[in-house]
Amino acid sequence: MPAESRLRRLVTAALTAAVASLIAGCVQNPNSVFHHRTDFNRDVGSLFELLIWLGTIVFIFTEGMLLWAIVKYRSRPGKPHQPEQVHGNTRLEILWTVIPAVVLAIIAVPTVQTIFKTQGAARADALQVEVTGHQWWWEFRYPQYGVATANELYLPIGRTVSFALKTHDVIHSFWIPALGGKRDLVNNRTNHIWFTPDSTTEEAFNGFCAEYCGTSHANMRFKAFTVTSEEFASWIAHQQSPALVIPALGAPPTPPPANATKATKAPTKTTTATATQTQAQPAPVQAGFVSFARERMPHHAIPQTPLPPGLTFDTTLVGDASRGGMLVATGLCTGCHTIKGVPTMQAQTGPDLTHVGSRLTIAAGLFPNDTRHLAAWIKNSRAMKPGIQMPTMGKGQYDPIVKSTLTIGFTDQQIADIVAYLQALK
Amino acid sequence: MATAATAPALPHTGYKSESGVWSWLTTVDHKRIGALYLYTALLWFLIGGLEAMMIRIQLQGPNGRFVSAETYNQLFTMHGTTMIFLVIMPLSAAFFNLLIPLQIGARDVAFPRLNAFSYWVYLFGSIFMNASWLIKAAPDGGWFGYVPLTSTYSPGLNIDFWMLGLQILGVSSLAAAFNFITTVINLRAPGMHFMRMPIFTWMAFIVQFLLVLAFPVITIALVFLQFDRFFGTQFYEAAAGADPLLWQHLFWIFGHPEVYILVLPAFGLVSEILPTFSRKPLFGYPVMVYSGILIAFLGFGVWAHHMFAVGMGPIADTLFAVTTMLIGIPTGVKIFNWIFTMWGGDLRFTTAMKFAIGLVGLFTIGGISGVMHASPPADLQQTDTYFIVAHFHYVLFGGSMMGLFGGVYYYYPKLTGRMLSEKLGTWHFWLAFIGMNLTFMPMHWSGLMGMPRRTWVYDAGQGLEVFNLMSSIGAYIQAVSVMIFVWNLWSSRKRGAVAGNDPWGAPTLEWSIPSPPPEYNFATIPTVTSRYPLWDRKSAEPGAPAGGRVPSAKELGIPMPNPSIWPLFVALFMTFMFASLLLIHLGKTPFAIAGIITFAFLMTLSLYRWLLTPLEDEH
Repeated sequence: MPAESRLRRLVTAALTAAVASLIAGCVQNPNSVFHHRTDFNRDVGSLFELLIWLGTIVFIFTEGMLLWAIVKYRSRPGKPHQPEQVHGNTRLEILWTVIPAVVLAIIAVPTVQTIFKTQGAARADALQVEVTGHQWWWEFRYPQYGVATANELYLPIGRTVSFALKTHDVIHSFWIPALGGKRDLVNNRTNHIWFTPDSTTEEAFNGFCAEYCGTSHANMRFKAFTVTSEEFASWIAHQQSPALVIPALGAPPTPPPANATKATKAPTKTTTATATQTQAQPAPVQAGFVSFARERMPHHAIPQTPLPPGLTFDTTLVGDASRGGMLVATGLCTGCHTIKGVPTMQAQTGPDLTHVGSRLTIAAGLFPNDTRHLAAWIKNSRAMKPGIQMPTMGKGQYDPIVKSTLTIGFTDQQIADIVAYLQALK
Repeated sequence: MATAATAPALPHTGYKSESGVWSWLTTVDHKRIGALYLYTALLWFLIGGLEAMMIRIQLQGPNGRFVSAETYNQLFTMHGTTMIFLVIMPLSAAFFNLLIPLQIGARDVAFPRLNAFSYWVYLFGSIFMNASWLIKAAPDGGWFGYVPLTSTYSPGLNIDFWMLGLQILGVSSLAAAFNFITTVINLRAPGMHFMRMPIFTWMAFIVQFLLVLAFPVITIALVFLQFDRFFGTQFYEAAAGADPLLWQHLFWIFGHPEVYILVLPAFGLVSEILPTFSRKPLFGYPVMVYSGILIAFLGFGVWAHHMFAVGMGPIADTLFAVTTMLIGIPTGVKIFNWIFTMWGGDLRFTTAMKFAIGLVGLFTIGGISGVMHASPPADLQQTDTYFIVAHFHYVLFGGSMMGLFGGVYYYYPKLTGRMLSEKLGTWHFWLAFIGMNLTFMPMHWSGLMGMPRRTWVYDAGQGLEVFNLMSSIGAYIQAVSVMIFVWNLWSSRKRGAVAGNDPWGAPTLEWSIPSPPPEYNFATIPTVTSRYPLWDRKSAEPGAPAGGRVPSAKELGIPMPNPSIWPLFVALFMTFMFASLLLIHLGKTPFAIAGIITFAFLMTLSLYRWLLTPLEDEH
């Protein structure tokens, strides 16, 4: 019968699709909402489990009944063509009003419990993090420690973290799928979400903006690193220290942390970020911990965004951090960025660059923070991230927003200098 | 069809409708207006589908560069806006037009010229909104247009096109809704009390109330936005202390009933198709009616479940979770009543029936995932991800579009007098069914694996490549199915088998008259004594044979409304009046004012000509 072969095709197609997606799903899903790395995700997870089980039962029951009706009651030769004219059955209809009601009640009770549990007040001793959304990057402040950073979160394992969420411009949504649910950043109000990361080891997670916020919504990402409390304390101490300041800028040289001393000399000699990195960062343990170890970054946390074709940079150019520092502190950068300790760098429009050299990514999690990408970014950021405010600055580069080619701007050597300086800002 | 094979080449003789462009521009015949709605909506369906294809090409692999971020944002905004406002709603309107008068035994709708006006407003509004593509300023704020992104942070013309376009389309929907409400209340044939009304007309009737109650809300929300954008008011201006959640509440108070505006007509069509091809009455007709009313009523009390992530607090979250779950009950009742309509029947798997069964099977999946995000804590991990995209495509493609496709196959013979090819129809159904599942089923996984919605790119190595590739392949299969459908519509127009009055053995009044129906529909207004007049009658006498001579209205002395060009002109000048506002943002305010005044004057003039022309000749 055609109906049967069609049915077989339908079932085969559905099964193949389901199996294929399951297999694919099991391979590697770093951003799965089913990662139970926090109390929040475990609570939601058990609710999810209930929903999936009940949903599966309802699905099998309903679709099974439908398929049964299709097969059993299909028109066949020899079967009378005038079936009994049934108009309804009150008892049956009451039954299938009551059964869904019961199923929904089974879902509603733990739902309400979880709502009140997850939205209760966070512990008083929780780590406070202020999140401010900008088109299209994240500002993170740790008010208990006076620390401001951007696009990279450090969270101590085992301590509840309570996020206060605000926006600078449009509505965004803060989301680290593997750690917890999302919460919107809405103008003129402060939203909250809290959870306790309790991974057994240090891990790197991907975060996203989940509410459509304009041109580069897809490019508004961030990283969250869970670290031990000792590492966190070390990281905080490092973040509290002012930036490495080039003496030529006129500001008094500040005593940099022990590990950063090496970095002051490093950039003038080496140009690749990895080389700097190895020197600047002896080991990813407690004292001296300034950032999540680059070599321990899992594959999924390293951005793979391709550079625009044609945007190249000669990475063999040797940059001079002092000259770069002068360019940064006297040029366009002063209009938007802060570098603590540099008098001319106090603007708040863009991300805080005080410790930008110790970050693992740039452009809100869009590119790895290495010489090639950082140089390309300074050369023509607008070609790398559509719609952004940061101007195209490389000489001869095409600015896609102004729609013209720059006749003035930084030469590649100047960019190499700037990169050397920024990389020195461990 | 056995009868069709022996029928003459032409559907019927004698009555011949006027043809030519002028007759279409001036028509006030509900069937012709229905046809205009149908073909216009299908045209936009192709455009909206093209937008979807470009989205899927862009997302086929990680870090795609097929379109720019700006274009991508325009594509998903216009795909959503087009499919909702320019495809599903007008496709439903096509069936309201075609079917309501036929099903209730009336000669036309209550206000035939207002009906023409509704169509022309829809046409001009849809052209206006899409004209934005020509100046590379298509709307890019999402179909939901959240402020302040669409107010302060979108200075271009993009959002103006979206906002004014929706205002124009709203006029069309509201005018049509009042028209159909009046039609159903006043023009039912003798004996057709409400509980004898065909179920499609019932669902359509409910939808008109939803339109009348929901559209004023979006209109107000858009007027606020319009004033913010053009005249410097601060309804949504965050810097002045406004709460942007005002927009979200207003939008979703409209937006959630809108979901039922989109799906109830399809439910109605399926409730006509399933009984016919099961040769059994609809199981639990009163419960189907009441559950429709209940869904519509509850639909106004669930809006904030679109906003669980905005931080409304635990009390509001709980309230909206519970109301949302409640709405699952009447919906579930409908599913089981459909299954039990088939239960014990004599099922004939025509293309229309396949699509109807497709709706029952696929909408169920959308319903189940819907309950999953009715639970706010779980929703915080689902909202704004591809899981939601999967969910509402099961509801709107698996639900609305499947039902509407079924309706097209079922009613095309009534509209044109010709059958659509069942062979092509079967190909259409299976490719749509497989393609649809291949596209949207993997999106459940990509969402739960952390893929946010409305994203131009996703990075490699996130475990999303396979799901997205599957979705894209599924979308291409759907594109093939749509091409087959279009070919079927085109080729059956002249070559399809002749339908006769009642090709399916259906029970309701529209099948008692010739196909296509004469301009006056019913030579004598029937008297109705049951819910299924034709099935009751058939036991006594067979339906009128196909191919008989159908007399014209003049011969029968039936007064018909005169054609009129004025509804078209009113609609046209109204659209130009709205469009003149764009000049303000081009820095030409005096021209904008001049334009608005001129077109308002012309519109009023045309309206006078319309109102001063008698509807019918003296008789």
